[in-house]
Amino acid sequence: MASVLALFLRASVVLVCTALATFSLLWHAPGDPALAVAIARYQAVVPDAVLDQIRTEAGFNTGFWTAFASWLRPLLQGDFGQSAVTGRDVWPELVTAIGYTVPLAVLGLLIGLFFSIPLALLATKKPGGWLDRLAVALASIGAAIPAYWLGLLLILLFAVQLGWLPAMGARTSAHVILPALTLGLGVAASLTRILRSGLLEARGQSFLPAFRRRGISRRALERDHVAPHAAIPVITVFGLELAFLLEGAVMVEVIFARPGLGTFLVSAIEARDFPKVQAVVILTAVLFVTVNLLIDLLYRAIDPRIGERDA
Amino acid sequence: MEDVSLYLEPARTLAVVGESGAGKSTLIGATLGLVPCTTGQVTWAGASPRYIRPALVMQEPRSAFNPHLLLRRSVMEPCVAKRLQCDPSRLQRLCDGLEISTDLLDRRPSEVSIGQAQRVGILRALIAAPPLVLFDEPLSALDAVTQKHTARLIAELQAEEGFAAMIVTHDLGYAAAYADDIAVLRAGRIEEIGAAKAFVAEPKTAYGHRLRDAAFALGALERAA
Amino acid sequence: MRSVVVLSAVLLALALIGPLLAPHAPTAIDIPNRLSAPDADHWLGTDALGRDIMSRLLHGAKWTIGIAFLISLVGLLVGTLIGLVAALGGRVMDWVCMRTTDTFLAFPDLVAAVVIAGVLGAGTGSLIFALTITGWMRYARVARGIGLSLQNRGYVVQARLAGLSALAIARWHYIPALLPSLTVVWTGMFARAILGISALGFLGFGVQPPMPEWGSMLLDARIHMRSTPLQMIWPGLAVVCSVLAINLAGDALRDALAQNDDQIP
Repeated sequence: MASVLALFLRASVVLVCTALATFSLLWHAPGDPALAVAIARYQAVVPDAVLDQIRTEAGFNTGFWTAFASWLRPLLQGDFGQSAVTGRDVWPELVTAIGYTVPLAVLGLLIGLFFSIPLALLATKKPGGWLDRLAVALASIGAAIPAYWLGLLLILLFAVQLGWLPAMGARTSAHVILPALTLGLGVAASLTRILRSGLLEARGQSFLPAFRRRGISRRALERDHVAPHAAIPVITVFGLELAFLLEGAVMVEVIFARPGLGTFLVSAIEARDFPKVQAVVILTAVLFVTVNLLIDLLYRAIDPRIGERDA
Repeated sequence: MEDVSLYLEPARTLAVVGESGAGKSTLIGATLGLVPCTTGQVTWAGASPRYIRPALVMQEPRSAFNPHLLLRRSVMEPCVAKRLQCDPSRLQRLCDGLEISTDLLDRRPSEVSIGQAQRVGILRALIAAPPLVLFDEPLSALDAVTQKHTARLIAELQAEEGFAAMIVTHDLGYAAAYADDIAVLRAGRIEEIGAAKAFVAEPKTAYGHRLRDAAFALGALERAA
Repeated sequence: MRSVVVLSAVLLALALIGPLLAPHAPTAIDIPNRLSAPDADHWLGTDALGRDIMSRLLHGAKWTIGIAFLISLVGLLVGTLIGLVAALGGRVMDWVCMRTTDTFLAFPDLVAAVVIAGVLGAGTGSLIFALTITGWMRYARVARGIGLSLQNRGYVVQARLAGLSALAIARWHYIPALLPSLTVVWTGMFARAILGISALGFLGFGVQPPMPEWGSMLLDARIHMRSTPLQMIWPGLAVVCSVLAINLAGDALRDALAQNDDQIP
């Protein structure tokens, strides 16, 4: 119990640190932030009085800690602040962007599972056989292909040469196919690798034949020994793939001009709209830390030894 | 551990005997300053033993050496740490005393026998002339012939070098044959302490009797001693 | 180990010698010859400004591979240092170091690198900073893990008893034991750095034009996808080949280490 509390404490410490790191990066960014806001907002050089007004408004002229506190306090109540450029609330725009990213990520994950599960199962039927070597080769090449290049190649083939699928934007639901395929093929490469080694390891469990000899039924064996054993890698993979999906989504959305979180982030950086950048970064960190916390808790639920070891 | 008080004198050997779990390792850790004492203290001539850098000879001779390094480097470590220039003639003398050739030092731990490794371990313990040397089951990883040989070498070197020795062991036969004094450790307490000969002749406590009689029965201890 | 040494030597040689082999200057503009197809003079054709793509690729190796090498080495040093401080420095240092590591791991590293490089302003300096500061955590975790497992080894206890300084203990007893595993991590991080540099270059946050970096070459090529699709193939292929080679060498090393596991202390 104490160790579960420690996990929560650790997660909160990490979250506070991420907030601090993010804020201090943007606070110490080169250039006059007020000038950047003014240029983004008015597209022109403005008088000093306007700059001063922006500084007061955004809290640029207070100290670091005051500014940090006045950003963090509303954030804890779910208020992500206003865009430095448009002055509108960040949150509704963020929700719209998430609405584009989540289907892309889910579809990408499904495509990844669709390709990797059969491939891994076929490969481990005969370890070292030609199917296995093919799977390993595909996974290695897949891991080396950057998402942005794969995306461009898919656009070149399916949109430019064949003209089968739309590429840019997100007007129709068909627009999600190419980005999701780009993301999914990357996921498939890494999943095939992990599933393959997981399956090989599970088959090689030394205690299974001994249990079989003692007359324990195959079903009971699967339920009590194989399944929990396989659950831990599955949970780990879920955490890894989440990172992969988020990272991939950023690049893929930029390539396909899809108005999701990635495009939102990159255009906010380019416009130096720091409240938006902070919002995306903090949201990502919260998601990540929460998922990792859940994974840690699940590990402990499945295998109580993990908690003791990690004390 | 409670109520443990032990005294060590130069050129004398104290054997601490006890069964597994009696607190032998904790006693070693506390004496070396690796385990903090909650109450009480360990002193050498009034100061913490950390200043005299007592040396330790370990039970598992191979794991006491870094597998990546030549034995020579590991042996010289105490000198390097104290920024001492190691006298080659001293190294030669110790090697002669331990009956190992100096060529052995240009091998890696995996390339020597266990008995050789243990003697190199003793060499490292003695190289910087510490006033106190702890032996943690120094013979238990060795075969019977090597055990006897190594025990004799330790005793001879002690006579020559004059260090105080504390031998922690479960082997009462070894303790009786080579130690001046014997302390019996049981469940973290000193059960009894006294001269080795007196202990073998007539232990003061019931537990001491049981321990001695068990050693008689096993033939580890000779009645005549 | 040998495969990794040979491979990194080959890649480094490519980064160093590649520019010398280039038939043209990488930034020589030749507008009349723009977007030409491959021919005897321009083996891979020219780009939108008539610059020779082959020469730009060879010079690009210097930027992409060279910077990736630098970044992964600095990450190795920083990460190992933090991991060793965590393992050797007592409970408080351990807690501080590991929470710092967790904090940096709380973002997907490419997202963090994009934010840092973008906010600091486009340029090679911010690129290197962004990818280094997001690329040391795995080294730290591995170094700490192995470090903690070494703590109670006989020879480490002996070194502490002898009064060897923490620095000397790290130098003689920790680093040699860490090196094989850290090399495996290093191959992964080297490949990651190549992917990261070209990704940032592709987003326009990395090495700035007219310097030929593979990612930014891809960004240029993308606009002319319809007229000269081949132009887009080469830089991507260069990235894939280098990353694949590094990953395969890393796999081979890991398998070799797993086979003689008992030799690793």
